[in-house]
Amino acid sequence: MMKSANAILAGLTLLGLASWVQAGALAADAETTFKFYCAQCHGLGGKGDGPNVTKNFPVSPRNFTNAKEMNKLSDADIKNVVLDGGPAASKSPMMPPWGKTLTGPQVDGLVKHLRKLCKCKGKQG
Amino acid sequence: MRMALKALLGVAALALSASPALADPAAGKKTFTAKGCGDCHYTDGPAKEKTIADQLTKKGPELWYAGSKFQKKWLGAWLEDPKPIRPMKFNSLTEKNPGDHPKLAGGDAKNVNEFLMSLVSKDVKAGVIKPKKAAKGRLIFTKKMPCTGCHQYPAKKRAKYKGGNSGPTLVGAGKRLNPDWIYAYLKTPKIFKPVKSMPVFAGILKDKDMKNVAQFVATFK
Ligand code: HEC
Ligand code: HEC
Ligand code: HEC
Repeated sequence: MMKSANAILAGLTLLGLASWVQAGALAADAETTFKFYCAQCHGLGGKGDGPNVTKNFPVSPRNFTNAKEMNKLSDADIKNVVLDGGPAASKSPMMPPWGKTLTGPQVDGLVKHLRKLCKCKGKQG
Repeated sequence: MRMALKALLGVAALALSASPALADPAAGKKTFTAKGCGDCHYTDGPAKEKTIADQLTKKGPELWYAGSKFQKKWLGAWLEDPKPIRPMKFNSLTEKNPGDHPKLAGGDAKNVNEFLMSLVSKDVKAGVIKPKKAAKGRLIFTKKMPCTGCHQYPAKKRAKYKGGNSGPTLVGAGKRLNPDWIYAYLKTPKIFKPVKSMPVFAGILKDKDMKNVAQFVATFK
């Protein structure tokens, strides 16, 4: 009796550990994804200052550390603009469509990463 | 007497054409290895990159389809006198291209050019794209799609070029790139570059528009 309870406990701890490790790996993945695809324009720290943004760049890429602006967007809004590009949200075509490039989990990871950068929850509902 | 001289000249000409002083892909392959080019470039396809990490550990672009991608005249000249193609250092978003690519002397460059031009991909159909400065291609490149956000391209006014820095410059693309490869790359990007920071446009642009934009890029001087 005691033994099997212990085994269950150990199993649960392992499970917990596994999902914790996995969440950590996913967050690291999201950062890698962000730096590889998005930082070209939005900057490695998300401030909208990537190497493409020179003085003749037509519109400023969103600064993801600006909580006030980022709070105007829901998670669904972010997903929509990432998948289909700026024009899908009446924004500039300089924001590319990534729907054929990124996988679903990658996009979900990016939404979480942007929320980390803005330290904000965004528009709810 | 006359006849004999002619025959002799003929033999001499034959001997010349077979002489090793002329460009030779096998010699080029040897030079490529001897000069350490293979430390930074792989030449055996298909594409090996599976993850972002794979792409980021590469020290130089893949060359396994170089013969389908480049124009021979441009490649020969570039190998002797390489000028920066990517504004940024390879795989970096913070450092500028140092412009320190290894150079090859004339004879070596010719042989390596033959070798690289012998590396072709069956996924590039020849004769599909002719350079064309048409309104449709221009509209896609400069307005509808974000191409200019990441690529320099020739500008008319005071500045020599406009555009972003994260992608290879497209200034001179009409001399550097094979127009058919540009289209093949847009249509089936994963065959050539399975992991890259340029968005996949296949499925977003119609086939006709991929052709239009490839034709337009192929005019860049
Ligand atoms: C070629 C440059 C470029 C790249 C690469 C890029 N963006 Fe953008 N992005 C922009 C620009 C420019 C805007 C602002 C558009 C505007 O305000 O009209 C923008 C805006 C946004 C917005 C705000 C949209 C809104 O409705 O306010 C989000 C979210 C966003 N980008 C996410 C991303 C993510 C995630 C990636 C990486 C997968 C990415 N972007 C890659 C240029 C880029
Ligand atoms: C230390 C690593 C390194 C070595 C060694 C090296 N290259 Fe490169 N090569 C690069 C990088 C980085 C680039 C991109 C340069 C640029 O964008 O300006 C490049 C670009 C090229 C290109 C153009 C490819 C493209 O897709 O734009 C060719 C062709 C090439 N190298 C051939 C050679 C040959 C031939 C040698 C040997 C003589 C060689 N390289 C040695 C790193 C290297
Ligand atoms: C978000 C940035 C970005 C956008 C937007 C973008 N590209 Fe690119 N492009 C790149 C990068 C980065 C590469 C190099 C990819 C690699 O070699 O891994 C590239 C490569 C290329 C090449 C091959 C150049 C060479 O010498 O290897 C062509 C041609 C090209 N892009 C055309 C286009 C066209 C046409 C568009 C618009 C429909 C476009 N690009 C939009 C970033 C971008």
